[in-house]
Amino acid sequence: MKIDPVERGERKVYSVAAFNRGVRDWVARLPTVWVEGEVTELRHHANWQTVFFTLKDPAEGACLAVTMPRGQFDALRIDLADGERVHVFGRPELFEQRGDLRLRALTVERFGLGDHLAALERLKRKLAAEGLFAAARKRPLPRLPRAIGLVTGNDAAAKRDVLTTIVERFPPARVVVAETYVQGPRAAPAIVDALAALCRLPELDVVVVARGGGSFEDLLPFSDERLVRAVAACPVPVVTAVGHEQDTPLCDLAADVRASTPTAAGRLVVPDVRELHATLGRSRAALERGTRRTLDRERQRLATTRERLTRAPALALERKRAALNHAAARLQALSPRSTLERGYAIVRSGDDLVRSSATVAPGDPLRIEVADGSFGARVE
Amino acid sequence: MSAEPTFEAAQRELEQIVERLERGQTGLDEAIALWERGEELYRFCLGKLDAAHGRIEELARVATETPT
Repeated sequence: MKIDPVERGERKVYSVAAFNRGVRDWVARLPTVWVEGEVTELRHHANWQTVFFTLKDPAEGACLAVTMPRGQFDALRIDLADGERVHVFGRPELFEQRGDLRLRALTVERFGLGDHLAALERLKRKLAAEGLFAAARKRPLPRLPRAIGLVTGNDAAAKRDVLTTIVERFPPARVVVAETYVQGPRAAPAIVDALAALCRLPELDVVVVARGGGSFEDLLPFSDERLVRAVAACPVPVVTAVGHEQDTPLCDLAADVRASTPTAAGRLVVPDVRELHATLGRSRAALERGTRRTLDRERQRLATTRERLTRAPALALERKRAALNHAAARLQALSPRSTLERGYAIVRSGDDLVRSSATVAPGDPLRIEVADGSFGARVE
Repeated sequence: MSAEPTFEAAQRELEQIVERLERGQTGLDEAIALWERGEELYRFCLGKLDAAHGRIEELARVATETPT
């Protein structure tokens, strides 16, 4: 477009709009470049079409306004925060209405991702050497925790998954939720504080740290040394469910158990109430069975004893009777009757037995006793 | 039951009682005492499970301000 000045006497004068338009057109011919700086004054609103921030030169303090269409910015999933170093790829642009020069960003990259990775690897080796990730440090989870701590963002999905699973499996559970930042530079100290606050609850038996999936940068706080140490030092067992299956932030290595998802974490910290009911029911049935068996055995023993008791007098009587019979037989054997039966006779004179012929005289009456009776006789 | 045991401790004790009874070497008085204790533990555990529905509490926000 041709920009024409107006004549004011000897001067050629441009209107502001014409000037701006002229500069805009000239600026628009500048090449697309990468600019490095620190993010400040990031303004990102859901109902704005554009994201604004200022790129500041950390050494000299020089500033440059940056704009980016919100859709493109959100698609980067970069989650910028003030103070971060970035590389912005874009072209300069003059906002005609205000005459402001801005960098219109095509993409934004966090600067130093490679450095991050290397630092993470160094930290991992250092903490591993200290034994923070050792298998021997892992504690078993309680079977039935009195209170469960949940550290999570207001990130609806992860929080809901953990809570839903816990409540479904074990309705009497008590869960204390500590909502905190789960991404950005403030997240690590905030999570450490949340853990500490939860651990002050006297009944706390286990903690779940849950966060949904996110970019590498999003999950960086979960590899922060302060947080990893806090997880390792936590007085109760910690279950982490951070990011997706393939992500392994360092806090996962320090945790007592790493869950693949928030739902899995929920399943790990509470038992299934139906299974517990069944187990208890089986224990009770066995308890009754065991007691009944002991009772039956004792009853049986008692019955046996009683039988012996009732039989005892009859037995004794029987023995006495036998002894008596025996005595009777012997008595029988000694009685004169059997002698009489063999043909002997007892001879009496008056009341006296006749043992000698000299004790009788002819004519004396005698009494002769034989086996089946007696009769009189006279001495001749 | 004196100082309230944990559910786990109670369940463990119940299982031990059952084991002792199953070994069948207990006398009558002991068996009855064990059974009474076992029933008590069973009711305690059941009570824990059926206790008033769980609670979900929010810990006073550690960080209250919202990110800008």
